[in-house]
Amino acid sequence: MTIRLEHIWKSFGPVAVLKDVHLELPEREFITLVGPSGCGKTTLLRILAGLESATRGEIWHGDTRVSDLAPGKRDIAMVFQNYALYPHMNVHGNIAYGLKVRGTPKAEIAARVLEVARVLEIESLLGRKPRQLSGGQRQRVALGRAMVRKPWLFLMDEPLSNLDAKLRVTMRGELKRFHMRLETTTVYVTHDQLEAMTMSDKIAVMDHGVVQQYATPAEVYNRPANTFVAGFIGSPPMNFVERAELRGGELALDCGPDGRIAIGASPLPNGFAGETLLGVRPQDLEVRGAPRAGAVPATVTLIQLVGSEKLVEVAFGAAGKLTAQVKADAPVAAGERVWIGFDPAKLHLFEPGSGGNLALR
Amino acid sequence: MSQAADWKRADSRIGILFIVPFAVTALVFMVYPVAEAVRLAFYHHNPLNPGASSFAGLDNFRALAADPLFWQAFRQAAVWTFSSIVLQTVIGVALALLLHLPLRGISVFRGLLLFPYIVPTVVIALILQWMLNADLGVVNWSLRGAGLIDENVYWLASPGMAMLSTIALNVWKYTPFVTICVLARLQTIPLELYDAAKVDGAGAVRRFVDITLPQLAEVLAVVVIFRTIWTFNKFEEIYLLTRGGPGTSTFNLAIYSFEQSVANLKMGMGAATGVVMMALLFVGSLIYMRVFRFDEEPTQ
Amino acid sequence: MSALGAVRQVIAYLVLLVVTFLICFPLIWAASTSLKSPKDVMATPPTLLPAEVTIENYRNLVTGKQQYYRADQSYVPTTAAPQHFTSWFANSVIVSLGSTAISILISTLAAYSVTRFRYRGRRIIPYFSLLGYMIPSIILVFPLFLVMAELRLTNSLWSLTFGYVSITLPFCMWLLWAFFRGIPIELEEAAMIDGASRLRVFVDIVLPSAAPGIIAAAIFSLIVSWNDFLFARVFINSIENLPLTVGVMHFFEGTHVDWGLMMASAVLMTVPMAILFMLMQRHLVAGFGAGAVKG
Repeated sequence: MTIRLEHIWKSFGPVAVLKDVHLELPEREFITLVGPSGCGKTTLLRILAGLESATRGEIWHGDTRVSDLAPGKRDIAMVFQNYALYPHMNVHGNIAYGLKVRGTPKAEIAARVLEVARVLEIESLLGRKPRQLSGGQRQRVALGRAMVRKPWLFLMDEPLSNLDAKLRVTMRGELKRFHMRLETTTVYVTHDQLEAMTMSDKIAVMDHGVVQQYATPAEVYNRPANTFVAGFIGSPPMNFVERAELRGGELALDCGPDGRIAIGASPLPNGFAGETLLGVRPQDLEVRGAPRAGAVPATVTLIQLVGSEKLVEVAFGAAGKLTAQVKADAPVAAGERVWIGFDPAKLHLFEPGSGGNLALR
Repeated sequence: MSQAADWKRADSRIGILFIVPFAVTALVFMVYPVAEAVRLAFYHHNPLNPGASSFAGLDNFRALAADPLFWQAFRQAAVWTFSSIVLQTVIGVALALLLHLPLRGISVFRGLLLFPYIVPTVVIALILQWMLNADLGVVNWSLRGAGLIDENVYWLASPGMAMLSTIALNVWKYTPFVTICVLARLQTIPLELYDAAKVDGAGAVRRFVDITLPQLAEVLAVVVIFRTIWTFNKFEEIYLLTRGGPGTSTFNLAIYSFEQSVANLKMGMGAATGVVMMALLFVGSLIYMRVFRFDEEPTQ
Repeated sequence: MSALGAVRQVIAYLVLLVVTFLICFPLIWAASTSLKSPKDVMATPPTLLPAEVTIENYRNLVTGKQQYYRADQSYVPTTAAPQHFTSWFANSVIVSLGSTAISILISTLAAYSVTRFRYRGRRIIPYFSLLGYMIPSIILVFPLFLVMAELRLTNSLWSLTFGYVSITLPFCMWLLWAFFRGIPIELEEAAMIDGASRLRVFVDIVLPSAAPGIIAAAIFSLIVSWNDFLFARVFINSIENLPLTVGVMHFFEGTHVDWGLMMASAVLMTVPMAILFMLMQRHLVAGFGAGAVKG
């Protein structure tokens, strides 16, 4: 059954941290709430869990209103950022606690804990206390504690942020696999856009208590709703060029007669003309050693090698700056004169004031 | 405010339920007695004849101000407190620095330090009375054996010596407290600071003055203020060793207050002394809060 | 360098030895005196070890046998006989345990309430507690006596029990508040999501996590109530209801002070605290860390 968050508002005193959040979470999907710290994503998750109550708005699970239920009555499970394993109980006790509280028969508890432990490959750890476990092991126990009750909804609050970088990548894959296996609706909170992109069926990008865009990862990446989403998703972040004039089939950058990009027919469906804010991802820029029509002349200011790629920072016009991502073996060096080529299909045009994507108007 | 669900209301009821026993106990056995202590200060009250209690206005305070014994007790309390605190702090810090050295078996000794704190004051006072007994006590006999004195010293029966003895008791019992507090702080000073100072060419003395002392300043201030407040108001440490004597030579305000209430049956006077003590305590606390800007919640 | 280090070590150990001696000697001397015969006690110069070890003093205290004092080859009975010693001891035990239990129960509930629930005034309560913790007993004792008289509790063990609660409760509260604040709230939230009720969370999760704090608070509470003299001196006037601390003062009321008997009582008064101390040393240090030091 679909979960509906209906017009959720939340204020702490005079401060509104959630403003009219309205989301539908389809069954069995992996949904990520992503945004910078303070954007309200964790508060939204806690409202879903029942740990906070919304100032206004309701939560429905199919035909059941869950927003009035105590956390324990919602039959959901949550994985906390620091795992929140009960320190005085061993792994078995931690996983079994939710079942014990609900009065599940002992034999059934034992069987289910064992089953979960098998799936997570932590059978050998059942007798240990949390402090005797490594970060990754704790993570699995926390997952086990959530899984064992077979809830209808998993909530995960930045569960990977306490792990080291390498383990994080491994656990990311594991989490995804568990989701595919269990097919339980999952709401996942993170500030890491890469986690959001790689794991989710749908992403809700949040900022200042407002959902900026709620769509599939591809959609969010390819058609960001506004400059916030465009800047937040993708790494290195999207370049923005101010005062780009759109006239017919041509985009004029604010750097003299050379700064003209032929984009053929206007990419905007509504025939917009005038000043825009141009967004272009570093991956979509071309760095050439010789002039070409529609390429903007620039000077390389800095080169950062990042393994198989390198990031080329260039300056153009009076104060223009761009970062391009090119192959590591591309023949370009700091101080050189280069020409930056744009792919007309991969330009994002935003309204200068509101930052809204002009293509989506 | 919010759409408070039933379970939320039931939950907050538990919160109230949990605080009620504390609130009731605090009201009956703490707030009311303190209020009563202040009220009594403005009354003539004889505990054997409570019916004859009458309003006294500021009489009790005037009587205090006119009583030379009150001022004597005040002076003696100040001497007692100051000497005790100086000795406790100096010895306590020295001991802490010593215990901070990486010596073998030091942890056993650290544990031992807490021992005086748990020994009942009555016990150490009894033992000291026995040890300091002029004719039979081990102290006089040892000093005579070592040739340091020719005649027995009346430790508890001559005014100056009695004061010294009560200070000794206090120092014995509470120096470990200073040591433990300082030691705890010493252990949190980052070793990098010392390394940095060494690299900068600071010698051992400089490192102590420039790094250790400033890091200890805060804990020392807390310890000194708290110990001063408590030492000034101590009753048992003196009363059990000397009863304030000989004569009134070791009276402090607490003993003065006690004697007014119990021996002279002037509870109003006793209470007025208590109010003076509370006022001093209040000043001490203000200094404390001033020093530590008490707006932040203390970390554990 | 290493020679200097060695010298410093030797000096350090010497100082530690002296300090250890100063800490321990009074109790060693008391123990030694308590094992001496009356004649031995009066011997001049005094000896560190008893000429012959006797447990007569302890036996007299425990059996309550009338104590005689040998002077000029004649027996002179002291006025205060030790026949009450066992009941004093029992009174001390009852009152200390009772007041500690009450203090811990009340402060645990209260500390949890102020850390985890939202209501008006909850922030001020711990500070109010700290204030109560700083008020010296001498100020509280007489008004509290009047309260006890009002409640018709004077001269009973109840008056002492509640009296000690009034001095131990504030610092138990302050200490436990610090401990509860240190328990990650996520633990409780996890348990709530697991379906536990608030009470169940309190019992299953909070209490075990706060156990070190509760133990430390209990130890301090036991020490304070076991060691008190003032409240017992004021509240209790019948000899059989006294706790040890005031009771043994009656041993001074004879024509001669029997120091052997006195030191035996001092030792017996210290033993329960010493046992507690040895068992719980670790927690005691933890409590010191949390600032629970009244003295």
